[in-house]
Amino acid sequence: MSYQTLLILLFVVLIGWYLSFSASRLDRLHHRVETSWATLDSLLQQRAALAHDIVSESNLDPATAYLISSSAAIARNANIVERSAAESVLSESLKLVQGAAIDHSLELPGDLLVELSDITSKVKIAINIHLEAVNATRNVRAKPLIRLFRLAGKAPLPVRYAFEDDVL
Amino acid sequence: MRKLRVGMVCPYGWDTPGGVQTHIRDLAEHLIEEGHHVSVLTPISDDSITQQDYVVNAGKPISIPVNGSVARVLFGPIASSRAKQWIASGDFDLLHLHEPAIPSLSLLACSAAAGPLVGTFHVSTPKKKAIYAIGPILEPIVEKLNARIAVSEMARFTLKDHFETDAVVIPNGIDGQRYANARVNPAYAKPNTVGFIGRFEEPRKGLQVLLDSLSIVARFIPDVEYLVAGPGESEGFLKDLNPQLRHRVKFLGLLGNEEKQSFLKSIPIYVAPNTGSESFGIILTEALSAGTAVVASDIPAFKAVLENGSAGDLFRNGDSADLAKVLVALLRDDEKRKKLSENGSLSAQKYDWQVVAEQIESVYEMAIAGGQRVTLASESRFWSRR
Repeated sequence: MSYQTLLILLFVVLIGWYLSFSASRLDRLHHRVETSWATLDSLLQQRAALAHDIVSESNLDPATAYLISSSAAIARNANIVERSAAESVLSESLKLVQGAAIDHSLELPGDLLVELSDITSKVKIAINIHLEAVNATRNVRAKPLIRLFRLAGKAPLPVRYAFEDDVL
Repeated sequence: MRKLRVGMVCPYGWDTPGGVQTHIRDLAEHLIEEGHHVSVLTPISDDSITQQDYVVNAGKPISIPVNGSVARVLFGPIASSRAKQWIASGDFDLLHLHEPAIPSLSLLACSAAAGPLVGTFHVSTPKKKAIYAIGPILEPIVEKLNARIAVSEMARFTLKDHFETDAVVIPNGIDGQRYANARVNPAYAKPNTVGFIGRFEEPRKGLQVLLDSLSIVARFIPDVEYLVAGPGESEGFLKDLNPQLRHRVKFLGLLGNEEKQSFLKSIPIYVAPNTGSESFGIILTEALSAGTAVVASDIPAFKAVLENGSAGDLFRNGDSADLAKVLVALLRDDEKRKKLSENGSLSAQKYDWQVVAEQIESVYEMAIAGGQRVTLASESRFWSRR
């Protein structure tokens, strides 16, 4: 065996190792995105349900009440691409509730308010974790060798979720 | 939340004092109190001393210079196989790795494990250091973490710079009650006393800045006394000092936990003159919750903890004349000092373990949401000794 064939063989083995390594890395990342999305999704669903409870059990003015319940309904029915935008609208309108609670103009069972602030902080963490997973996955999928060999297979490209740091 | 089996990995020697070790110990003990099961894998230098029963020894650490101080870390094949054994036999719901991005036990555990992993990043460095130059190699490993926690905004930016990843910011916790209710020691509680705690031999701890301020402060307040606590050789510092002022500075040596709490409780003013590379400044939050007035250099980490000066006074970093000015003003004005320490202890409440641990638990909850348990990664199974 000549020096050249040995070199080519070594190259092929290296590429093979890199591809198998990348495939398992990508698989892990896709799995992470799915889990983090499931977590975030269930928290957002809980939040929308809570928004309806708040509207029905408080003395909010009709305009605010309508704003909150309609944005909660839209957020619940939005598809994955529009979800992020719809949820930020809900975050904004729930902010009104917290604002009203601070200046004592609101009559609302205390446990609902506690639940709201609890779920808000959890959503914040969940968004952060999900965003992280999405970005990492998209970065790896953008690598040339991985695109050339279609290592991502049929897995859909994870959808970015807008970070609501300033809102929440 | 259901009770979890949590495995934590400490990268630094358990028996050397340090912020990361303290953080892990307090978090572990708090979680155990909440009913979780916790096991901490850590290097230990002196294995003749028995440690807490949740601690698992991984071997003797070696000293390497990191970030201006010396870190005692552990890696190598033996440590790696111990970490694998620990993971395989621990049956954990979740691993919590501290400082997984430096070559250490945490990194070994991170690469060997699969399943729910949470990482906490403590360090903050402004520039890319040699230890981070291996970033691209570490990236696939750090990527495995389901959730990252940074102890401060500074630590979060460091993480963003080096790995292009983001993190949830959850501050270091402290047991506020222990400091607030500490015993007052009359030896430290004299009216014109200024305290300092730290490994003062390291230049970045800034003891020199504090000592340089003495000549000015003593001119206005003749009976002022500087108390310096911490391990180290004091001769060099005393030699450089004006002989007439030497008796104004007392070196107390290393203080035990309870002594430290009563030290912070007793002294009227605590000074943190650190000149840089601080990520969080846990000592500040401890001093604040003890109800001591705090004076600190205006480095970003301290500014954040002291809320831009409302929870404690700031002076220009490295400027001993400015420090002297701030100290004299505070020592002379009892009202101002009292107001400052009241604000301080109020703002320290958000660092209490009760609050902090709850946030960490919600991160745990999200990390385990996938329903998996911690196992050895497929590529490490072959080498494990079951």
